[in-house]
Amino acid sequence: MKEDSLVCLPGQRLSICDKIYTSGQGTYERKGYIYSMLGGVVDIVEKNGLKVLEVHSNGQNTVIPSQGDIVTAEVYIITQQHAKCHIKCIGNTVLKSSFRAIIRKEYVRVTEKDKVEIYKSFRPGDIILARVLPITEAHSYQLSTAENELGVVIAHSEHGYPMIPVSWTEMQCPKTLVKEPRKVAKVVPENMTTDILSVLQNNV
Amino acid sequence: MPVDHKRINGPEESVPYELFARLSGLTSEKAFEQLYKAGKRSDGREFEEHRKIFLKNGAVSQAKGSAYIEMGQTKVIVSVFDPREIPNRSDYSLKGELYCEFKFAPFSCAKRRLHQQDNEEKQYSCIMKKALESAVCLHELPNFQVDIYALVMHNDGSALSAAITAAGVALVEAGVPMYDIITSVTVGIQQGVKLVDPDSLEEQMCQVQFLSEKYQDNNHGLLIISKLHTQEQLCQFYQNGYVSLEVLKSGLEVLSKTCEVIVPLVQKCLIKHITNGIKS
Amino acid sequence: MSLCDAEKTFILHGVAENFRSDGRDREGYRPIEIETDIVQHAFGSARLRLANTDILVAVKIEVDTPLPERPFEGKIEFFVDCSANATPDFEGRGGETLAIELSNILASAYKSPKTFNLKKLCILKGKKCWKLYVDILILECGGNLFDAVSLAVKAALFNTKVPLIKSVNIDGDNVELDVSDNVFDCERLDVTNAPVMVTVCKIGDNCVVDPNLAEEQCSVGSIVVAISQEYFSTVTSIGIGSLHAQTLCSSLELGQKVGIRLNEALMDTLSHITSDQDFGFLK
Repeated sequence: MKEDSLVCLPGQRLSICDKIYTSGQGTYERKGYIYSMLGGVVDIVEKNGLKVLEVHSNGQNTVIPSQGDIVTAEVYIITQQHAKCHIKCIGNTVLKSSFRAIIRKEYVRVTEKDKVEIYKSFRPGDIILARVLPITEAHSYQLSTAENELGVVIAHSEHGYPMIPVSWTEMQCPKTLVKEPRKVAKVVPENMTTDILSVLQNNV
Repeated sequence: MPVDHKRINGPEESVPYELFARLSGLTSEKAFEQLYKAGKRSDGREFEEHRKIFLKNGAVSQAKGSAYIEMGQTKVIVSVFDPREIPNRSDYSLKGELYCEFKFAPFSCAKRRLHQQDNEEKQYSCIMKKALESAVCLHELPNFQVDIYALVMHNDGSALSAAITAAGVALVEAGVPMYDIITSVTVGIQQGVKLVDPDSLEEQMCQVQFLSEKYQDNNHGLLIISKLHTQEQLCQFYQNGYVSLEVLKSGLEVLSKTCEVIVPLVQKCLIKHITNGIKS
Repeated sequence: MSLCDAEKTFILHGVAENFRSDGRDREGYRPIEIETDIVQHAFGSARLRLANTDILVAVKIEVDTPLPERPFEGKIEFFVDCSANATPDFEGRGGETLAIELSNILASAYKSPKTFNLKKLCILKGKKCWKLYVDILILECGGNLFDAVSLAVKAALFNTKVPLIKSVNIDGDNVELDVSDNVFDCERLDVTNAPVMVTVCKIGDNCVVDPNLAEEQCSVGSIVVAISQEYFSTVTSIGIGSLHAQTLCSSLELGQKVGIRLNEALMDTLSHITSDQDFGFLK
């Protein structure tokens, strides 16, 4: 961050709220003015002619999964209808405490939705990549793996060896050569995902 | 009160020895007389003067945000932890929740406190929660709970106010969205004299009714308020004792004024924290 | 209970016009029903019904030793039970926070010696005293619990008969109390100064007392004041929401005014209750 950044505290009035300036992340609007709600640094982001005021606190931000985020999660329970998992990372930030989430049968893959069977897609202990769906009435986050790049990235065979993907529906154990069905993610060799993988592998 | 049997508790019927000493020594009434005659308090303060405050954030490295505050001899540590999902809840709530725990350390008061929360501590937790609930943007934390723990290490009066002010700092450090900066002050009332930020002896003095003839004024009690600085809103108000409307109103004014005195201190502490963060 | 915006606006406008949805003005209370001396095994009891809120209070008395730091005083303790009968929300530990809040406010309101003199409950300095157990049972919850509970407690304490002690024999460390044989030999407690609580709710730009459940929903902030004569024995803000200092002052004024009136009405009613009326709840 720059040395000359603008420091603000919660409750500090930043600007008038009009056609040019609008309130963004870390700010709130009250009676036509924009106030800060975090202690941190003011950023002005220009977006389609609008100036969006944002406040970013230093140190680690509190990250909460929001709609559209790519998350890394660990499956812990599977049933006929859904798989339950704990979100471990959002984007490339590792969370201190995990969030509960659920993947319904309908959101496992794009095609042949009605033929999906959870136990052929995930097993407890699998590490998956998924996208966060809009938050509805339900009490936990809903995830979707209905994209080629999403699905299981790390899985262990019944004998406990890390498996290697052989197709988009199967993974193979290198020791026993047993093939197990999974909804495999096509991992794009991009910096972001490899970062997550290395972090996760250290944890496993 | 239920006793925690898993810990070794002190003998059930023990009494601090000071009780027997005090009976012959300084009573609240005499102490007040001295104070009233001198026109000053035992530590040399004016009646409406706040004690010096030492405030520091980042006292607990494990916590997301924390603060340590000293007001005279009163020492309080407050830590705030990462928002987590509300445990044991099946329905989704659009608003977040706060969980406050106010605790006196066993050795913090003249009388030994138990490890379990007693009624006073529970009440203080409630007041603290109330004060902070109006300061935190709960709608920004749907279905989340923020845990706030305040531990009093030495209670020399106004511990609750100290805890609330420190909790405000700790919450900002933790990056919890807040509407405003929160400060809290206590005032003790006895015979129309307002003692801002009373120490524990003065607190005791303000809880009793003087019997002697020369004290005709019935007013006595404690007032605690918490204020949101920019919005000029009182987010919490608590009074006990026996106080008339006029005294209550004037007490409120004194408290509001004193809150404004503390605000720059809190701001300074926070700005220091933020600029340090930028440099590193 | 959840209200839509239109309903809230309706209530808001009504309050602004000083004509609330049930026909009251801003300072008006709903009808209160009270009866005393209804629990056989208690030393004093009262039942109060305020609109849909139903409270049963019973006072039990036991002999105890005074606290070493207060050798001249008796003890009083408040226990609130929010049973699941009142609303399903109280099931399990659901009512616990509310119960703690209620008993804490009561304890705080009765703390000052000016409101309730505990010295009258002392039997022998540092050795024996009476302890009052005030058990509050919430039978039905229809809003405005604080006011209802405080009124019921005051009525029950008014009704309480403390047994008369004829003589005290001290033999070494043993203290023997000689309680009068006649059941009708008893003292009444002095409750003239006992506090009455009033919940003041800010709705729109005005403050109202005795809010019903719907009005509680529209409130932006509320305070509870405990009034003893014209003095305040406890004031506390409840629920989420903040108030401006100006609003707080005006709600204090309103609370005081209504509290004094409420207290007068209660004392008047209590003094007119005679013991031979045997009809009503639990009889």
